[in-house]
Amino acid sequence: MGSSELVLLTIRWLARKHRAIKRRLDLPEIKSYAPGIYARSETLVQATRDLDRGRTTEAAVQDQREVDLRSFLDAQREAGLDYLSDGLLNWQDIFRPFDEAARGLEPGPLTRFLNTNTFYRAPAVTEEAPTLVEPLGEPYFRIGDLPRNRWVVTLPSPHALAEFAAGDLEPRAVAEGVLGPQIRWLAGNGCAIVVLQETALFDGGIDVYPLSDALDALQSPLPVALQLPFGDSGDVLGELVELDVEAIGVDLYATDLEALPRPFPKTLLAGVVDARNSLVEEPGDLAEFGRQLLEELEGELHFVPNGDLQFVPEKIARQKVLRLGEAARILKEER
Amino acid sequence: MTEIRFVTREIGSLAKPGWRVKAIAGRPVEKKDVEEAREWGWRLGIDSGELAEILRKGGSFTNEEKVKIQDFAALYGIRILEHAGLDVVYDGEQRRSEMYDHAVRHTKGFETRGTVRSFDNKYYTKAAVVEKPLVERAYDLEEFEFVRSHTDRAVKTPFTGAYTIMDWSYDEHYAKDIMLGAAAQRAEARRRFGVEVARDVVRPNVTGLVEAGAEWVQIDEPAATTRPEEVPLVVETFNATREGVDARASMHICFSDYNSLFPHIEALDDCYELQLEFSNRDSRELGTKAEDRPGYDVLERFAGSAWDGKIGLGVIDIHTNFIEPPELVRDRILYAARVLGPERIEVNTDCGLRTRTWEVSLAKLKNMVEGTRLAEEALNGS
Repeated sequence: MGSSELVLLTIRWLARKHRAIKRRLDLPEIKSYAPGIYARSETLVQATRDLDRGRTTEAAVQDQREVDLRSFLDAQREAGLDYLSDGLLNWQDIFRPFDEAARGLEPGPLTRFLNTNTFYRAPAVTEEAPTLVEPLGEPYFRIGDLPRNRWVVTLPSPHALAEFAAGDLEPRAVAEGVLGPQIRWLAGNGCAIVVLQETALFDGGIDVYPLSDALDALQSPLPVALQLPFGDSGDVLGELVELDVEAIGVDLYATDLEALPRPFPKTLLAGVVDARNSLVEEPGDLAEFGRQLLEELEGELHFVPNGDLQFVPEKIARQKVLRLGEAARILKEER
Repeated sequence: MTEIRFVTREIGSLAKPGWRVKAIAGRPVEKKDVEEAREWGWRLGIDSGELAEILRKGGSFTNEEKVKIQDFAALYGIRILEHAGLDVVYDGEQRRSEMYDHAVRHTKGFETRGTVRSFDNKYYTKAAVVEKPLVERAYDLEEFEFVRSHTDRAVKTPFTGAYTIMDWSYDEHYAKDIMLGAAAQRAEARRRFGVEVARDVVRPNVTGLVEAGAEWVQIDEPAATTRPEEVPLVVETFNATREGVDARASMHICFSDYNSLFPHIEALDDCYELQLEFSNRDSRELGTKAEDRPGYDVLERFAGSAWDGKIGLGVIDIHTNFIEPPELVRDRILYAARVLGPERIEVNTDCGLRTRTWEVSLAKLKNMVEGTRLAEEALNGS
C-alpha cells in the first residue's frame, strides 16, 4: 500500500469515527435533498425536440438548460434543502457519460430500465479494462453553480453499471477504473455526499458480495449512500446495512416499513416523495411518517425522493421538491 | 412433409408523413409535403389526386378534409406494408397519436399531466388515472373497418395492453389513500387498477372490433417486464382482456428482459403467440450458430418452457437505419427454427417502425420478406 492510499484510508476512518461519535451524542440529524436526474421543463423538452428536427441550435438548447438549472437551484434553495443538486440535466441516462468517457466502454444497445418506462444505452464492453480517461467535470457536474461542500452528486453504483452492461464486466473493475477516480475528483471539488444508484438488486437470489467488493474498491473519501430507487428492497436490506457505506436509500412506496432492520444502524435515505407518481405529497403526512422512522434509527434521517424526479413533469417535480423541504423543516423544528 | 412457410408482418406503427402531421396539428402544409404525397402515391399505386388537391390549400382544413387526409395516410400505410410483401397488414397506426396517448385519450377517468422523457430527447405524454376508468364504445372500430375494406390481406389489429396502460399512468385514484410504507396495499391497488383497465377499457374495444370481424388481436405490452415481480399481473390482465373474446390473440413485448417471463407465461389463456424483439441485441454478422446469434439466446428458455405458443421473431432492428441484408434475416430465422422448430416461428420486426422514414422502413421490410423466403428455401431444401 502506498503512502497516499494510507492517508486516504486514515482520513476515511477518522471521518467515519467522527460521524459515529456525533451520532451517539446527538439526536438523529434530519436532512433533505433531491439526488438523481431532474425533470426537464416543457420549454427544454421542446428545445431538445426542435434540435433533433433541425429547427434550433445546440446553443439555444444550452441556454434553456441554463434557465432550467437556475430554476431547479432556486427551487431547492426555496425548499431549504441541505444539499443541492445540479439535476444532471444534460445526462442522457445515468450511465452514458461514463460510456462515453471511459476506455473499455461505449454506448451499446438501447435497453429498457426496470421499474420506469425509460431506456438507457447499455454500457457495451470492449476489450480494454474500463478506465476513465480523465474525471468528468463541467458540463456533467456544474461545480461552479453549486455551493462548495454542500452539494450532492448522483452516480451509478459500480455494481449496477456492470450488471446492466452489454458484455462481461466486473463491478470491482468499474469501481477501480471509472467511479473511484471520479469520486476522488468530486471530493476535491466541493462535493459533500455521493449517492450511488443501485438499480440491479431487485431480482431474487441476489449475491451482495460483488457489490460489497466494488464498494470497497471505490476508496471514497466522501460519505457514500447506496440508494435502491423504485423498488422493494426489503429482501436485501438485512445484507445492505452491513456494507461499508454511510447510508442506505429505500423506496418507501415499494418497501414495507416492516422490512426495515430495527434499529436501523445507518443513515436512512428515506424515499418519501414518489418520483413515479403525480400525486403531490402533503408535508404534514411526510413529517408524521418521519416521526415513525426516527423511532427506529441509529443514524441520520435524510428525506429524498424514491428515485429520479425526471419521471414526473417538471412542474410537478418542482412541487415535490418544495414539499420535501417543507416536511423536513417541520421535523427539524420539532427537535 | 409439409412445406415450411413463415408468416410475415410488421408489429404496429409506421412514421407519419409530414403532410398528415402538419394538417392535423394545424401547421402549414408546404409544397414539398404535397410533392411527397404525390411521389409516394405514385410508388404505391395510389391515385393521390384528391389528396394533393386538399393539401394544396396549405392549411385551414375543414374537419371533412382532415378525415380525408387521415384516410389517405391510413391507405398509404396499408399499401407500404403490402408493397413490402407482408402477409399480414394494418395501417401503420396512422390515426393514432401514440400508443399510450391514443388509449387514455379515449378512456374516461384519465387526465393528462405533462411530458416525461423516454430516452435521450424522446418524450411521451403521461396521464393520471383520477377515477375508475371506462370505455363505453369500441373507439378503434372505424379504423379497423377502413383497413378491412382496403386490403385483401390478413389483418392483425394492435391494442395497447392493460398492464402497459396501468404502468405508464400515474395513479391518483387507486393508491391515493394508502399510507407510506404499506407496500403490500400499494401492490394490491396496482393489481386492481390493471385488472379494471383490462376488463373495462381494453376488452370493450377489442370486443367491438371482433364483433365487426377482427380475427387477430395483438395486445401490446412493452411494459410487461418493467417490474419483474408483476409479470403474473401481466398474465392476469392478458387473460382478463381475452375473456370471452372469440378471436386469435397474441401479445407483443419489446426491449424487455424476457427471462422474467418464466414460468409465468405458462398461465396465459390461449395466447397464440408472443411477438418479441431480438435483433436490437443481436450481431450483424452472418451465421446460424448460437455464438453468431447472441441476441436470440433466450430462445432456449422458450424451447424448454411448458408454454408452447408461437414466437413472432423480431428480425429487424427498428432503432437504426441499417438495412438488414436478406441473408442476415435468413440466418436469424434459421437459428430460431433450429432451437424452437420452424412450426413455432413467425416473422416480424422488433417493434413498430415509427422512428424510421418510410424509405428506410420499406427497404427493411422488403429485406425481411426476402430473407424469410431464403430461410424457407434453406429449410425446404429447394
